[in-house]
Amino acid sequence: MNYPVWDVPVIGSGWVIGIIAIYHTLISQFAVGGGLYLVLVEQKALREGRADWLPRLKQHSKFFLIVTGVFGAVSGVGIWFAIGLANPESTSTLIHNFVFGWAMEWVFFIVELTAAAVYYYTWDRIPRKLHVQVGWLYAIASFCTLVIINGILTFMLTPGDAWIEVAGTGNESSRFWEAFFNPTYFPSLFLRILICISLAGVWALVSYSRIDEHTDKETKAELITWSSKWLIPAFVLMPFFFVWYLFSIPEVNRGLLQLGISTIGSGAFTQVTRISLVMVMTTATIVGVVYFFARKSPQDFSFSHGVAVLMLAFLANASAEYVREMMRKPYSIARHMYSNGIRQASVAKINQDGYLTKSHWTRPATGSETSPDVVLAKGEAMFRGQCLACHTATGYRAINKYLKGREYASIKMLVTTLHEYAEDSPYRKYMPQLAGKEDEIAALVDYLDYSVNKEKSRIAQLMPTHKQEVVELK
Amino acid sequence: MSKLMSSLYGWVDERLGLEELVKFAKKKTVPQHQHSFWYYWGGISLFFFIVQSLTGLLLLVYYRPGPDAYESVRQITYEIQFGWLIRSAHAWSANLMVAAVFIHMFSVYFMKAYRYPREFGWWTGMVLLVLCLLFGFSGYLLPMDELSYFATKVGLEIPAALPAVGPWIANLFRGGLEVSEQTVQRFFALHVVLLPMLFIPFLFIHLWLVQKHGNATIPSEMEKPEYLRRSIPFFPNFLMKDLALWLIALNVMSLLASIFPWEIGEPADALKPAPTGIHPEWYYMSAFQMLKVLGNVFPGALGEGLGITIFTLGLILWFFIPLYDGKHENGVKARNATYFGLLALFILIATTAWGYMVL
Repeated sequence: MNYPVWDVPVIGSGWVIGIIAIYHTLISQFAVGGGLYLVLVEQKALREGRADWLPRLKQHSKFFLIVTGVFGAVSGVGIWFAIGLANPESTSTLIHNFVFGWAMEWVFFIVELTAAAVYYYTWDRIPRKLHVQVGWLYAIASFCTLVIINGILTFMLTPGDAWIEVAGTGNESSRFWEAFFNPTYFPSLFLRILICISLAGVWALVSYSRIDEHTDKETKAELITWSSKWLIPAFVLMPFFFVWYLFSIPEVNRGLLQLGISTIGSGAFTQVTRISLVMVMTTATIVGVVYFFARKSPQDFSFSHGVAVLMLAFLANASAEYVREMMRKPYSIARHMYSNGIRQASVAKINQDGYLTKSHWTRPATGSETSPDVVLAKGEAMFRGQCLACHTATGYRAINKYLKGREYASIKMLVTTLHEYAEDSPYRKYMPQLAGKEDEIAALVDYLDYSVNKEKSRIAQLMPTHKQEVVELK
Repeated sequence: MSKLMSSLYGWVDERLGLEELVKFAKKKTVPQHQHSFWYYWGGISLFFFIVQSLTGLLLLVYYRPGPDAYESVRQITYEIQFGWLIRSAHAWSANLMVAAVFIHMFSVYFMKAYRYPREFGWWTGMVLLVLCLLFGFSGYLLPMDELSYFATKVGLEIPAALPAVGPWIANLFRGGLEVSEQTVQRFFALHVVLLPMLFIPFLFIHLWLVQKHGNATIPSEMEKPEYLRRSIPFFPNFLMKDLALWLIALNVMSLLASIFPWEIGEPADALKPAPTGIHPEWYYMSAFQMLKVLGNVFPGALGEGLGITIFTLGLILWFFIPLYDGKHENGVKARNATYFGLLALFILIATTAWGYMVL
């Protein structure tokens, strides 16, 4: 535990990343697909002499610039803040490994942001051909950002055998390309390209829904119809790429998707299956809504229809990102680093030397090693270091809820199971191994017991206040 | 391909007269005004009923009434593939259906769509509402877990409070003096045989009446000259919008079923004390709370009897409102009917909220 723990009550630190990331991907994927959309519509309008399209396209490019350049860029920085605070150890590993990847991505970002601004501000000011070229520059630069970030994101789920061989040796960046073009790189890239293209269509529907159907009836109908076609490739090809992606990930991760088919038992990750169903349902609904409203009566496509499609896309995107993140459990970097920042290879050493001895940010507990205050302080430090990355005390994935009704012996058995981490333990699918010396593990048991059972807990019986009360009662 | 389709359509049309139906549907129009949104709630209620029928049918495959009731629902929820989804969809769409039916009823009431010649539409609708509430009540007990057991026990206090016949009705429902396996068996028969047998014919009459008389135009629109009133064809315009709303309803229900699946509690145990804060389902809360309050003000049988009498009188008035305000005139009677509706709505919401606050 080389870093302080970021304790976010109720929702937990993971959801801070999640909320920002879901919001960000809805925009950043639009930034990639939307660039291609703008330049292709402009070319089509010029080729077919549709002068009435161009003012509308200019308006759309302003909308595009504001949404992607302001909200997209700001939320992208937000992700950096959030991952640095919530998961510093994993962030550090990624930076050490992919520093040049990110350097390249930021170059493309600068080109992308500049080209987007130039594209909008030079409408009707530079020759059409040059304007289209600026559009292409934007489209290519933004596509390159996707090509790069996709390598880093997929690495976390499937780092590949070549990288795992050198993991922890300090030589990790020597396998940069193997890690980058990891087993899920291509299926994920194609899936994301499809998402980007369909989001370009979805956001364009929102933008054009503002066109007045009384004054510009025909233009509105044409642009709405044309934009709705951008959703077709995704709906035709997505199932195939999705299956390809599923079969590229290790069976153990894929297994998480199946946990919730037959049960809703809590605390067993069954929600991954349920959220996948939400993804399928909302995606299918987008098809229905776009067909009924955008294709059947494009001139009547209202702003509320556009927002409804966007909200559905938001839900589909949120569910997909959630499922993707969950499938990586119990790791933040598969087969290397657990979601609480502990390296898999270090567990044996931690079990021998202790977890808290390396925790520089934990206040040393004073007093006798067995006094209840010290035990609880140690237990709390263990809880914060190893549990808080995924659980909260009383909010999201609340420890107090999961352990409700369990007494000391039962909690001890569960914690021991997580510590021993037997080959056939069902928890291996989604929970990291609990690391620490025996006294630290025992302290965690007492801390959890005390959190759930308060004065009925084992440790409370040993507290001086409790003894005092017993004497008084006598 | 299209040639083949059209010749196939021609073949079927010749025998079934589909074209007549299409012509009829195209001729039919639906008024279009600022309150048109409320026209869709009947359709949404119907959609949830269809979901109920389909999911209910699937649950019937695994559900076992009687002593095995709890175990079979536990298996559906925790062992059978997608059993939890079907059960959650059934439970959520039941609640959404009751909510949609209430919204439909109040919107019909305030748009004065019960007036001549739609009185029978209103009356059949009221019968359907009562049947719908009985569906909810009988279905709630079927898992036979702690909560459903005690909630049914408490819920049966409402009919039991009826003067003279009350205890007899309660015993008939229970199949004895206590809620038991016998009750589950009876509720099951009620839920899957008797109620559908009554519900479906009434539903058809209700829908036929809607087709026959069409959607009512609201009084403020009726005051406008004919050429200023707008309308849209039922087919395909209204139907398309209806289907789109069904899609939204399906999404809302699926989201709720997936994110908040219906759990099952501990098995019912008559010897255990009732959990604290036990109460019937939300749509019975108003009646439950009113009985409780009147029971406190007038202790004993008097309070309960008074409560039930007031409640029954209110229902009779509500049922016969088309006979009081049946003409298309905006006079004193129309105003009184609106005030009565507002009062009923206020009492329903206030007592329900009150009931939850004092739990």
